[in-house]
Amino acid sequence: MIVLNSSDGATFEVEESVAVQSQTIKHMIEDNCADTSIPLPNVNGVTLARVLEYIKKHAEAKDDEEGLKSFDAEFVKVDQASLFEIILAANYLDIKGLLDLTCQTVADQIKDLTVEEVRAIFNIMNDFTPEEEAKLRNDHAWAFE
Amino acid sequence: MEIIISNFFSNNSIFLAVAALLITALGCVFGTLFTVRSKAKFSGGFCCSCKGNSGTFHTTAYLNGVITGLEDNSRSGEEEMVEKVAAVVPPEKQSGASMMEQLVPEITTHALSYLDYPSLCRLSMTNSQMRKAANDDNAWKALYHKDFTLEQDSVIPVNGWKAYYAATRAIVNINNEFFRIIKERSLAEMGHFWLNADYVKCFHASGESFTGYSAVMQSWQLAFNWEQGFNFQVQDVRARVLTDMAWVAMKAYVDMETGPFNVTNIFEFHNGRWYMVHHHTSVMMVNGGAEQQMMQG
Repeated sequence: MIVLNSSDGATFEVEESVAVQSQTIKHMIEDNCADTSIPLPNVNGVTLARVLEYIKKHAEAKDDEEGLKSFDAEFVKVDQASLFEIILAANYLDIKGLLDLTCQTVADQIKDLTVEEVRAIFNIMNDFTPEEEAKLRNDHAWAFE
Repeated sequence: MEIIISNFFSNNSIFLAVAALLITALGCVFGTLFTVRSKAKFSGGFCCSCKGNSGTFHTTAYLNGVITGLEDNSRSGEEEMVEKVAAVVPPEKQSGASMMEQLVPEITTHALSYLDYPSLCRLSMTNSQMRKAANDDNAWKALYHKDFTLEQDSVIPVNGWKAYYAATRAIVNINNEFFRIIKERSLAEMGHFWLNADYVKCFHASGESFTGYSAVMQSWQLAFNWEQGFNFQVQDVRARVLTDMAWVAMKAYVDMETGPFNVTNIFEFHNGRWYMVHHHTSVMMVNGGAEQQMMQG
Protein backbone atom coordinates (compact mmCIF):
# COMPACT_ATOMS: atom_id res chain seq x y z
CA MET A 1 0.00 0.00 0.00
CA ILE A 2 1.15 3.51 -0.78
CA VAL A 3 0.41 6.42 1.53
CA LEU A 4 -0.29 9.82 -0.03
CA ASN A 5 -0.32 13.14 1.83
CA SER A 6 -2.30 16.01 0.38
CA SER A 7 -1.27 19.64 0.74
CA ASP A 8 -3.71 20.19 3.60
CA GLY A 9 -2.56 17.20 5.61
CA ALA A 10 -5.09 14.58 4.60
CA THR A 11 -3.77 11.04 4.27
CA PHE A 12 -4.85 8.48 1.72
CA GLU A 13 -3.95 4.85 1.31
CA VAL A 14 -3.98 3.28 -2.11
CA GLU A 15 -2.62 0.10 -3.65
CA GLU A 16 0.65 0.55 -5.50
CA SER A 17 -0.78 -1.12 -8.62
CA VAL A 18 -3.50 1.54 -8.69
CA ALA A 19 -1.26 4.47 -7.74
CA VAL A 20 1.18 3.94 -10.58
CA GLN A 21 -1.46 5.19 -13.04
CA SER A 22 0.10 8.46 -11.97
CA GLN A 23 3.46 8.68 -13.70
CA THR A 24 4.63 11.13 -11.05
CA ILE A 25 3.93 8.66 -8.25
CA LYS A 26 5.33 5.81 -10.34
CA HIS A 27 8.65 7.59 -10.71
CA MET A 28 8.76 8.46 -7.04
CA ILE A 29 8.30 4.81 -6.15
CA GLU A 30 10.96 3.75 -8.63
CA ASP A 31 13.37 6.33 -7.26
CA ASN A 32 12.75 5.02 -3.76
CA CYS A 33 11.23 8.25 -2.47
CA ALA A 34 8.17 6.43 -1.20
CA ASP A 35 9.29 4.53 1.90
CA THR A 36 6.95 6.09 4.44
CA SER A 37 4.60 8.27 2.46
CA ILE A 38 4.49 10.44 -0.63
CA PRO A 39 3.89 14.17 -0.06
CA LEU A 40 1.80 15.90 -2.71
CA PRO A 41 2.06 19.59 -1.86
CA ASN A 42 0.30 20.63 -5.06
CA VAL A 43 -2.94 18.75 -4.51
CA ASN A 44 -5.48 19.40 -1.75
CA GLY A 45 -7.40 16.67 0.03
CA VAL A 46 -10.73 17.02 -1.73
CA THR A 47 -9.18 16.96 -5.18
CA LEU A 48 -6.87 14.09 -4.31
CA ALA A 49 -9.84 12.08 -3.11
CA ARG A 50 -11.59 12.61 -6.44
CA VAL A 51 -8.49 11.72 -8.42
CA LEU A 52 -8.09 8.51 -6.40
CA GLU A 53 -11.75 7.72 -7.08
CA TYR A 54 -10.91 7.93 -10.79
CA ILE A 55 -7.80 5.81 -10.80
CA LYS A 56 -9.36 3.20 -8.49
CA LYS A 57 -12.33 2.80 -10.83
CA HIS A 58 -10.07 2.67 -13.89
CA ALA A 59 -7.89 0.03 -12.25
CA GLU A 60 -10.65 -2.29 -11.17
CA ALA A 61 -12.91 -1.97 -14.22
CA LYS A 62 -10.12 -1.82 -16.78
CA ASP A 63 -11.81 -3.89 -19.47
CA ASP A 64 -15.34 -2.65 -18.99
CA GLU A 65 -15.40 0.01 -21.70
CA GLU A 66 -19.09 0.83 -21.38
CA GLY A 67 -18.92 1.04 -17.61
CA LEU A 68 -15.88 3.29 -17.69
CA LYS A 69 -17.48 5.57 -20.26
CA SER A 70 -20.56 6.15 -18.09
CA PHE A 71 -18.34 6.54 -15.02
CA ASP A 72 -16.26 9.17 -16.81
CA ALA A 73 -19.37 11.03 -17.94
CA GLU A 74 -20.66 11.21 -14.37
CA PHE A 75 -17.19 11.97 -12.99
CA VAL A 76 -16.85 15.26 -14.84
CA LYS A 77 -20.25 16.56 -13.74
CA VAL A 78 -18.75 18.93 -11.21
CA ASP A 79 -18.58 22.69 -10.84
CA GLN A 80 -16.03 24.67 -12.85
CA ALA A 81 -13.66 25.29 -9.96
CA SER A 82 -13.45 21.60 -9.07
CA LEU A 83 -12.97 20.67 -12.71
CA PHE A 84 -10.01 23.01 -12.99
CA GLU A 85 -8.56 21.70 -9.73
CA ILE A 86 -8.75 18.18 -11.17
CA ILE A 87 -7.05 19.33 -14.38
CA LEU A 88 -4.20 20.82 -12.39
CA ALA A 89 -3.91 17.70 -10.26
CA ALA A 90 -4.02 15.38 -13.29
CA ASN A 91 -1.24 17.42 -14.85
CA TYR A 92 0.88 17.41 -11.71
CA LEU A 93 0.34 13.70 -11.11
CA ASP A 94 0.76 13.00 -14.82
CA ILE A 95 -2.36 10.86 -15.30
CA LYS A 96 -2.91 11.02 -19.03
CA GLY A 97 -6.41 9.54 -19.16
CA LEU A 98 -7.75 11.92 -16.54
CA LEU A 99 -6.09 14.95 -18.14
CA ASP A 100 -7.53 14.01 -21.54
CA LEU A 101 -10.99 13.50 -20.04
CA THR A 102 -11.06 16.80 -18.17
CA CYS A 103 -9.56 18.87 -21.00
CA GLN A 104 -12.02 17.33 -23.47
CA THR A 105 -14.85 18.22 -21.08
CA VAL A 106 -13.77 21.86 -20.99
CA ALA A 107 -13.38 21.88 -24.77
CA ASP A 108 -16.87 20.44 -25.24
CA GLN A 109 -18.27 23.12 -22.99
CA ILE A 110 -16.76 25.85 -25.15
CA LYS A 111 -17.70 24.27 -28.46
CA ASP A 112 -21.20 25.61 -28.96
CA LEU A 113 -21.13 28.79 -26.97
CA THR A 114 -21.02 32.39 -28.08
CA VAL A 115 -18.18 34.63 -26.94
CA GLU A 116 -20.34 36.14 -24.20
CA GLU A 117 -21.36 32.70 -22.97
CA VAL A 118 -17.73 31.56 -22.86
CA ARG A 119 -16.91 34.62 -20.75
CA ALA A 120 -19.77 33.85 -18.39
CA ILE A 121 -19.03 30.20 -17.86
CA PHE A 122 -15.34 30.72 -17.16
CA ASN A 123 -15.68 34.03 -15.40
CA ILE A 124 -13.47 35.82 -17.94
CA MET A 125 -13.49 39.59 -17.66
CA ASN A 126 -13.76 41.41 -20.96
CA ASP A 127 -11.01 44.02 -21.19
CA PHE A 128 -11.46 44.98 -24.84
CA THR A 129 -12.78 48.36 -25.90
CA PRO A 130 -15.86 48.23 -28.18
CA GLU A 131 -13.63 49.20 -31.11
CA GLU A 132 -11.18 46.40 -30.38
CA GLU A 133 -14.07 43.95 -30.08
CA ALA A 134 -15.51 45.05 -33.42
CA LYS A 135 -12.12 44.69 -35.09
CA LEU A 136 -11.67 41.21 -33.61
CA ARG A 137 -15.09 40.12 -34.80
CA ASN A 138 -14.17 41.38 -38.25
CA ASP A 139 -10.81 39.62 -38.25
CA HIS A 140 -12.47 36.35 -37.26
CA ALA A 141 -15.34 36.50 -39.74
CA TRP A 142 -13.71 33.68 -41.71
CA ALA A 143 -14.27 31.27 -38.85
CA PHE A 144 -18.00 31.83 -38.53
CA GLU A 145 -19.37 31.63 -42.01
CA MET B 1 -23.08 38.80 8.27
CA GLU B 2 -23.33 40.88 5.13
CA ILE B 3 -25.73 43.32 6.76
CA ILE B 4 -23.39 43.82 9.73
CA ILE B 5 -20.51 44.54 7.41
CA SER B 6 -22.34 47.19 5.41
CA ASN B 7 -23.36 48.90 8.62
CA PHE B 8 -19.76 49.13 9.70
CA PHE B 9 -18.92 50.71 6.38
CA SER B 10 -21.60 53.34 6.49
CA ASN B 11 -21.29 54.19 10.15
CA ASN B 12 -17.69 54.68 10.97
CA SER B 13 -14.62 54.06 8.88
CA ILE B 14 -12.33 54.38 11.89
CA PHE B 15 -13.47 51.07 13.17
CA LEU B 16 -12.77 49.46 9.84
CA ALA B 17 -9.42 47.99 10.80
CA VAL B 18 -10.77 46.68 14.07
CA ALA B 19 -13.77 45.31 12.27
CA ALA B 20 -11.52 43.63 9.76
CA LEU B 21 -9.59 41.82 12.45
CA LEU B 22 -12.71 40.91 14.35
CA ILE B 23 -14.54 39.62 11.34
CA THR B 24 -11.52 37.71 10.09
CA ALA B 25 -11.22 36.03 13.46
CA LEU B 26 -14.91 35.22 13.53
CA GLY B 27 -14.70 34.21 9.93
CA CYS B 28 -12.08 31.61 10.65
CA VAL B 29 -14.50 30.01 13.06
CA PHE B 30 -17.64 30.36 10.96
CA GLY B 31 -15.96 30.41 7.57
CA THR B 32 -17.92 27.68 5.91
CA LEU B 33 -21.24 29.19 6.90
CA PHE B 34 -20.67 32.70 5.65
CA THR B 35 -19.09 32.50 2.22
CA VAL B 36 -19.93 35.51 0.15
CA ARG B 37 -21.18 35.15 -3.38
CA SER B 38 -19.28 37.61 -5.47
CA LYS B 39 -19.00 37.99 -9.20
CA ALA B 40 -17.75 41.56 -9.27
CA LYS B 41 -14.08 42.32 -9.39
CA PHE B 42 -14.06 45.26 -7.00
CA SER B 43 -11.12 45.50 -4.64
CA GLY B 44 -11.51 45.64 -0.90
CA GLY B 45 -14.18 42.98 -0.99
CA PHE B 46 -15.02 41.77 2.45
CA CYS B 47 -15.20 38.18 3.44
CA CYS B 48 -13.62 35.46 5.43
CA SER B 49 -10.45 33.62 4.75
CA CYS B 50 -8.41 31.35 6.92
CA LYS B 51 -4.77 31.70 6.17
CA GLY B 52 -3.34 28.63 7.74
CA ASN B 53 -5.09 25.67 6.27
CA SER B 54 -5.11 26.15 2.56
CA GLY B 55 -3.11 24.17 0.09
CA THR B 56 -3.55 26.75 -2.59
CA PHE B 57 -0.85 28.95 -1.13
CA HIS B 58 1.51 26.14 -1.95
CA THR B 59 0.11 25.72 -5.42
CA THR B 60 0.83 29.35 -6.28
CA ALA B 61 4.43 28.30 -6.52
CA TYR B 62 3.71 26.48 -9.72
CA LEU B 63 0.76 28.43 -10.99
CA ASN B 64 1.59 31.58 -12.84
CA GLY B 65 -1.78 33.10 -12.24
CA VAL B 66 -4.00 34.21 -9.44
CA ILE B 67 -6.21 32.14 -7.21
CA THR B 68 -9.25 33.33 -5.41
CA GLY B 69 -10.41 31.20 -2.56
CA LEU B 70 -10.41 27.88 -4.33
CA GLU B 71 -9.73 26.11 -1.05
CA ASP B 72 -12.98 27.48 0.32
CA ASN B 73 -14.77 26.03 -2.65
CA SER B 74 -13.40 22.62 -1.98
CA ARG B 75 -14.10 22.86 1.71
CA SER B 76 -17.68 24.00 1.40
CA GLY B 77 -18.22 22.32 -1.94
CA GLU B 78 -20.23 25.26 -3.12
CA GLU B 79 -19.87 26.90 -6.47
CA GLU B 80 -18.78 30.31 -5.29
CA MET B 81 -15.75 32.47 -5.88
CA VAL B 82 -14.63 33.98 -2.62
CA GLU B 83 -12.82 37.32 -2.49
CA LYS B 84 -9.81 37.79 -0.24
CA VAL B 85 -9.50 40.50 2.40
CA ALA B 86 -7.10 43.22 1.27
CA ALA B 87 -5.17 43.33 4.50
CA VAL B 88 -4.49 39.62 4.65
CA VAL B 89 -3.68 38.81 1.06
CA PRO B 90 -1.30 40.47 -1.44
CA PRO B 91 -3.12 42.76 -3.91
CA GLU B 92 -2.53 40.60 -6.98
CA LYS B 93 -4.71 37.85 -5.52
CA GLN B 94 -7.74 40.11 -5.64
CA SER B 95 -8.09 40.45 -9.37
CA GLY B 96 -10.54 37.54 -9.50
CA ALA B 97 -8.85 36.16 -12.57
CA SER B 98 -10.83 33.55 -14.40
CA MET B 99 -10.02 29.94 -13.93
CA MET B 100 -8.76 29.66 -17.50
CA GLU B 101 -6.15 32.26 -16.79
CA GLN B 102 -4.95 30.37 -13.75
CA LEU B 103 -3.83 27.33 -15.67
CA VAL B 104 -0.12 27.04 -16.23
CA PRO B 105 0.94 27.64 -19.85
CA GLU B 106 1.56 24.03 -20.73
CA ILE B 107 -1.88 22.93 -19.52
CA THR B 108 -3.48 25.79 -21.42
CA THR B 109 -1.69 24.69 -24.58
CA HIS B 110 -2.76 21.11 -23.96
CA ALA B 111 -6.36 22.12 -23.28
CA LEU B 112 -6.42 24.30 -26.39
CA SER B 113 -5.48 21.31 -28.53
CA TYR B 114 -8.94 19.86 -27.90
CA LEU B 115 -10.73 22.86 -29.42
CA ASP B 116 -11.89 23.25 -32.99
CA TYR B 117 -11.07 26.42 -34.90
CA PRO B 118 -14.32 28.33 -34.19
CA SER B 119 -13.94 27.64 -30.46
CA LEU B 120 -10.32 28.76 -30.52
CA CYS B 121 -11.34 31.97 -32.27
CA ARG B 122 -14.17 32.55 -29.83
CA LEU B 123 -11.80 32.09 -26.93
CA SER B 124 -9.39 34.61 -28.38
CA MET B 125 -12.20 37.17 -28.46
CA THR B 126 -13.01 36.93 -24.75
CA ASN B 127 -10.21 39.03 -23.33
CA SER B 128 -6.62 40.06 -23.98
CA GLN B 129 -5.02 37.33 -21.90
CA MET B 130 -7.09 34.64 -23.62
CA ARG B 131 -6.28 36.20 -26.97
CA LYS B 132 -2.57 35.76 -26.27
CA ALA B 133 -3.09 32.14 -25.23
CA ALA B 134 -5.50 31.24 -28.02
CA ASN B 135 -3.33 32.83 -30.70
CA ASP B 136 -0.46 30.56 -29.78
CA ASP B 137 1.39 29.68 -32.98
CA ASN B 138 1.96 26.04 -32.02
CA ALA B 139 -1.72 25.52 -31.20
CA TRP B 140 -2.69 26.67 -34.70
CA LYS B 141 0.08 24.63 -36.32
CA ALA B 142 -1.23 21.53 -34.55
CA LEU B 143 -4.78 22.37 -35.61
CA TYR B 144 -3.59 22.85 -39.20
CA HIS B 145 -2.02 19.40 -39.19
CA LYS B 146 -5.16 17.92 -37.67
CA ASP B 147 -7.67 19.57 -40.01
CA PHE B 148 -5.76 19.77 -43.27
CA THR B 149 -2.55 17.87 -43.78
CA LEU B 150 0.60 16.74 -42.06
CA GLU B 151 2.51 18.19 -44.97
CA GLN B 152 4.20 21.58 -44.76
CA ASP B 153 5.58 20.74 -41.36
CA SER B 154 8.78 22.65 -41.98
CA VAL B 155 7.02 25.64 -43.49
CA ILE B 156 7.25 28.90 -41.55
CA PRO B 157 4.29 31.03 -42.65
CA VAL B 158 5.15 34.72 -42.86
CA ASN B 159 2.13 35.80 -40.82
CA GLY B 160 2.13 32.90 -38.38
CA TRP B 161 0.12 29.69 -38.34
CA LYS B 162 -3.20 31.19 -37.35
CA ALA B 163 -3.26 33.41 -40.45
CA TYR B 164 -2.07 30.47 -42.55
CA TYR B 165 -4.87 28.31 -41.17
CA ALA B 166 -7.41 31.02 -41.99
CA ALA B 167 -6.06 31.43 -45.53
CA THR B 168 -6.07 27.67 -46.08
CA ARG B 169 -9.63 27.40 -44.78
CA ALA B 170 -10.65 30.17 -47.21
CA ILE B 171 -8.98 28.49 -50.21
CA VAL B 172 -10.44 25.07 -49.39
CA ASN B 173 -13.92 26.63 -49.21
CA ILE B 174 -13.40 28.37 -52.55
CA ASN B 175 -12.18 25.12 -54.06
CA ASN B 176 -15.39 23.44 -52.86
CA GLU B 177 -17.34 26.28 -54.48
CA PHE B 178 -15.83 25.26 -57.83
CA PHE B 179 -17.35 21.78 -57.60
CA ARG B 180 -20.69 23.17 -56.46
CA ILE B 181 -20.77 25.39 -59.55
CA ILE B 182 -20.06 22.34 -61.74
CA LYS B 183 -22.82 20.37 -60.03
CA GLU B 184 -25.32 23.19 -60.59
CA ARG B 185 -24.04 23.88 -64.10
CA SER B 186 -24.18 27.62 -63.50
CA LEU B 187 -22.34 29.36 -66.32
CA ALA B 188 -22.84 32.77 -64.77
CA GLU B 189 -21.17 31.72 -61.57
CA MET B 190 -18.35 30.01 -63.45
CA GLY B 191 -17.80 33.28 -65.33
CA HIS B 192 -17.55 35.14 -62.05
CA PHE B 193 -15.25 32.51 -60.61
CA TRP B 194 -12.44 32.76 -63.18
CA LEU B 195 -10.03 35.63 -63.72
CA ASN B 196 -10.75 37.52 -66.91
CA ALA B 197 -7.24 37.27 -68.38
CA ASP B 198 -5.64 35.85 -71.50
CA TYR B 199 -3.30 33.50 -69.68
CA VAL B 200 -5.86 31.43 -67.78
CA LYS B 201 -5.95 27.76 -68.79
CA CYS B 202 -8.37 24.89 -68.45
CA PHE B 203 -7.60 21.21 -69.16
CA HIS B 204 -10.75 19.12 -69.21
CA ALA B 205 -11.08 15.38 -68.67
CA SER B 206 -11.52 14.99 -72.41
CA GLY B 207 -7.87 15.84 -72.81
CA GLU B 208 -8.71 19.12 -74.50
CA SER B 209 -7.10 22.34 -73.27
CA PHE B 210 -8.28 25.94 -73.56
CA THR B 211 -6.38 29.19 -73.08
CA GLY B 212 -7.78 32.63 -72.34
CA TYR B 213 -10.97 33.63 -70.54
CA SER B 214 -13.34 33.49 -73.55
CA ALA B 215 -12.19 30.07 -74.74
CA VAL B 216 -12.34 28.69 -71.23
CA MET B 217 -15.88 29.99 -70.72
CA GLN B 218 -16.99 28.52 -74.04
CA SER B 219 -15.61 25.14 -73.01
CA TRP B 220 -17.64 25.28 -69.81
CA GLN B 221 -20.77 26.26 -71.70
CA LEU B 222 -20.33 23.19 -73.88
CA ALA B 223 -19.72 21.00 -70.88
CA PHE B 224 -22.79 22.31 -69.04
CA ASN B 225 -25.00 21.65 -72.05
CA TRP B 226 -24.84 17.93 -71.42
CA GLU B 227 -27.77 16.74 -69.34
CA GLN B 228 -26.23 15.82 -66.06
CA GLY B 229 -24.43 17.97 -63.56
CA PHE B 230 -21.76 15.92 -61.96
CA ASN B 231 -21.69 15.53 -58.22
CA PHE B 232 -18.01 15.17 -57.41
CA GLN B 233 -16.82 13.83 -54.10
CA VAL B 234 -13.55 15.59 -53.40
CA GLN B 235 -10.93 14.03 -51.16
CA ASP B 236 -7.27 14.40 -50.16
CA VAL B 237 -7.36 18.14 -50.62
CA ARG B 238 -3.88 19.62 -50.30
CA ALA B 239 -3.61 23.38 -50.45
CA ARG B 240 -0.53 25.56 -50.52
CA VAL B 241 -1.29 29.22 -49.95
CA LEU B 242 1.08 32.11 -50.57
CA THR B 243 0.25 35.78 -50.39
CA ASP B 244 -1.19 36.23 -53.89
CA MET B 245 -1.27 32.69 -55.17
CA ALA B 246 -2.54 29.33 -54.10
CA TRP B 247 -2.65 25.87 -55.60
CA VAL B 248 -4.78 22.96 -54.60
CA ALA B 249 -4.32 19.30 -55.49
CA MET B 250 -7.15 16.83 -54.92
CA LYS B 251 -8.80 13.61 -55.96
CA ALA B 252 -12.30 13.85 -57.40
CA TYR B 253 -14.63 10.86 -57.50
CA VAL B 254 -17.86 10.72 -59.48
CA ASP B 255 -19.09 7.28 -58.60
CA MET B 256 -17.75 3.92 -57.53
CA GLU B 257 -16.33 2.84 -60.88
CA THR B 258 -15.07 6.11 -62.24
CA GLY B 259 -12.01 7.83 -61.00
CA PRO B 260 -10.37 9.22 -59.16
CA PHE B 261 -9.66 12.21 -61.29
CA ASN B 262 -6.47 13.92 -60.19
CA VAL B 263 -7.27 17.61 -60.19
CA THR B 264 -5.03 20.66 -59.79
CA ASN B 265 -6.53 24.12 -59.35
CA ILE B 266 -4.55 27.35 -59.19
CA PHE B 267 -5.89 30.64 -57.81
CA GLU B 268 -4.64 34.22 -57.83
CA PHE B 269 -5.56 36.97 -55.39
CA HIS B 270 -6.76 40.23 -56.99
CA ASN B 271 -8.80 43.13 -55.64
CA GLY B 272 -9.54 41.47 -52.33
CA ARG B 273 -10.71 38.08 -53.62
CA TRP B 274 -9.44 34.83 -55.06
CA TYR B 275 -9.91 33.99 -58.74
CA MET B 276 -9.36 30.67 -60.50
CA VAL B 277 -6.62 30.92 -63.14
CA HIS B 278 -5.90 27.29 -63.90
CA HIS B 279 -7.78 24.03 -63.81
CA HIS B 280 -6.29 20.70 -64.83
CA THR B 281 -7.96 17.33 -64.47
CA SER B 282 -6.55 13.96 -65.43
CA VAL B 283 -7.96 12.41 -68.57
CA MET B 284 -11.10 10.31 -68.38
CA MET B 285 -10.62 6.69 -69.43
CA VAL B 286 -12.88 6.00 -72.40
CA ASN B 287 -15.28 3.18 -71.51
CA GLY B 288 -17.61 2.22 -74.32
CA GLY B 289 -20.69 4.44 -74.08
CA ALA B 290 -19.22 6.91 -71.62
CA GLU B 291 -18.39 9.46 -74.32
CA GLN B 292 -20.61 12.15 -72.86
CA GLN B 293 -18.69 12.17 -69.63
CA MET B 294 -15.55 13.24 -71.45
CA MET B 295 -16.49 16.89 -71.69
CA GLN B 296 -17.16 17.36 -67.99
CA GLY B 297 -14.56 18.90 -65.67
